Amino acid sequence: MSTISEILKKKKNGLYYYNRVILPFNGCLLKIIIEDNILTDFSPTSKHIYVKEEDGFMSIYFKEYKHLEEEVSKYEAIKIVIVEKDKDIFDLKNHRKLALYPGENHELKIEATDDDILFIE
Amino acid sequence: MFVSKNFHFLTLILILILVSTMNMFGADSSTVLSETAQVVEPSIFMILPFLILLMLIATGPIFYKHFWERHYPKISILLGLITVVYYLYVLKDSYSILHIFTEYVSFIALLSSLFVASGGILIKVNRKATPFVNVLFLLFGGVIANVIGTTGASMLLIRPFIKMNKDRIKPYHIIFFIFIVSNVGGALTPIGDPPLFIGFLRGVPFFWVFVNVWHIWIPTILAIILAFYFVDKRNKTGQDKITKIDYSGTIEFRGGKNLIYLAGIILAVFIDPNVMSWVPSLSPLPIGIREIIMFGIVYLSYKNAHPDILKANEFDFEPIKEVAYLFIGIFLTMVPALQLISNFAKSNHDLLDTTTFYWATGILSAVLDNTPTYLNFLSAAMGKFYLDVNVQSQVLEFISKDDVFLRAISVSAVFFGAMTYIGNGPNFMVKSISERAGIQMPSFFAYLVKYAIPILLPIYVIVWLIFF
Repeated sequence: MSTISEILKKKKNGLYYYNRVILPFNGCLLKIIIEDNILTDFSPTSKHIYVKEEDGFMSIYFKEYKHLEEEVSKYEAIKIVIVEKDKDIFDLKNHRKLALYPGENHELKIEATDDDILFIE
Repeated sequence: MFVSKNFHFLTLILILILVSTMNMFGADSSTVLSETAQVVEPSIFMILPFLILLMLIATGPIFYKHFWERHYPKISILLGLITVVYYLYVLKDSYSILHIFTEYVSFIALLSSLFVASGGILIKVNRKATPFVNVLFLLFGGVIANVIGTTGASMLLIRPFIKMNKDRIKPYHIIFFIFIVSNVGGALTPIGDPPLFIGFLRGVPFFWVFVNVWHIWIPTILAIILAFYFVDKRNKTGQDKITKIDYSGTIEFRGGKNLIYLAGIILAVFIDPNVMSWVPSLSPLPIGIREIIMFGIVYLSYKNAHPDILKANEFDFEPIKEVAYLFIGIFLTMVPALQLISNFAKSNHDLLDTTTFYWATGILSAVLDNTPTYLNFLSAAMGKFYLDVNVQSQVLEFISKDDVFLRAISVSAVFFGAMTYIGNGPNFMVKSISERAGIQMPSFFAYLVKYAIPILLPIYVIVWLIFF
């Protein structure tokens, strides 16, 4: 299983299909911003999100969206705050802020957010 | 929002065609003479679509967010269409609808051009965000709003303001930004806020607002900024992190060519047959040369913007689309309300004094669009002297008789736009950009009850007591 740092270093992409995002790592989600929706409820009963951890990757289902490529426009990102699996969630240094850009052929570009992107945890 | 991106802009175009056609072939086009042309008074029940829309805007995002986000464009357009059909087929009055639609097109042309042009500009302020620096920033925003409009200033400055405060940002930062930069700041020139611009088009001299309002503007701005300073001083969030950062103190500015587009928009504002006689009127089309230029700037500034800047700004048309959809409903459904208010004001103008003008214009500007509200109350105030708002010389005569009414209307139309999210166009856009940055903004009611009423209302009461 690759770590988030490795994924970013190798510029490895994730995937997306309709309302499902597949990230090539495992971790604990803390916050997702998609358009102007701020999502923090990742419980199994959440109306907005379903998160499924699998061996070496994780899937996020955006229940209220049908096609992410139609909803998230060219310059927009899905922003997430995530803590890598087995890292201390209470150490703020482990809170990774990532920007996910849906691209062509179901590829999901994963970038660490820099200072340019507005992203308040 | 959860609305499909390819949602029916066609519906808007349909309204445009419907209204234009009705106007051109309307049975009673002779009534289409002026703002004060005799129109049949609408039924009081026709304010229901407007009240329903306001109620939905206020409650939708809180109680049925998913439904609202999916369906608000349809609801807004549907409620607007009820008013359109009532006016066209029951009152046989196409003028009122065409007129408000023309104002809507101007409103959207200005907002969208400023939104897109400023979206191609990236400002990075590498300074420690202290309460004092924030005060200076907001003050600068308030002043610049008079040069590039409250919308331009809001779009240009909200992102650097959030970035500068990213380690200590709270919703109140955004709310005070809306108070000062998106509203009150722009009370000094006709470019600042649309109602003042309408006044300018009707004959109010360009510098009249500055000369007559600055002494109200300064204490009001200072009072709001003072309130902000004390709130911000108590915010100790992120202090540990901030003290460790080595700030360069620099301000980086990218996308300078878009300043040309912004200048173009400001110049286009004056390209109006009422200001420059050589400018052709495209009437009965609800669009003018000015709007064509502005929409042209939307296209050019987006096409020529640097992709890195658009990416850094996470540029998306959704905030302006949200404003476009909600305000088409607001503009159309508010026609009966405005006409009823106008008729009441005209028939009771002897009873109306400065206090009434100040509060009535203000309260209505908080929930209606402030431009027609301003115009209706200006018309009523001029009615006190048997003068017509459509005759420029009479506007000047009105000002020379007693300008306290115009001062009260001008000040309250601009100031009270800050009372709600729907009081002024940029309020909603600032809210949307902030939410996309991850800031949980207060609901419609929370904004009103927790911020606008406790902070702004006492200041506005003092303004009233001292100046009116």
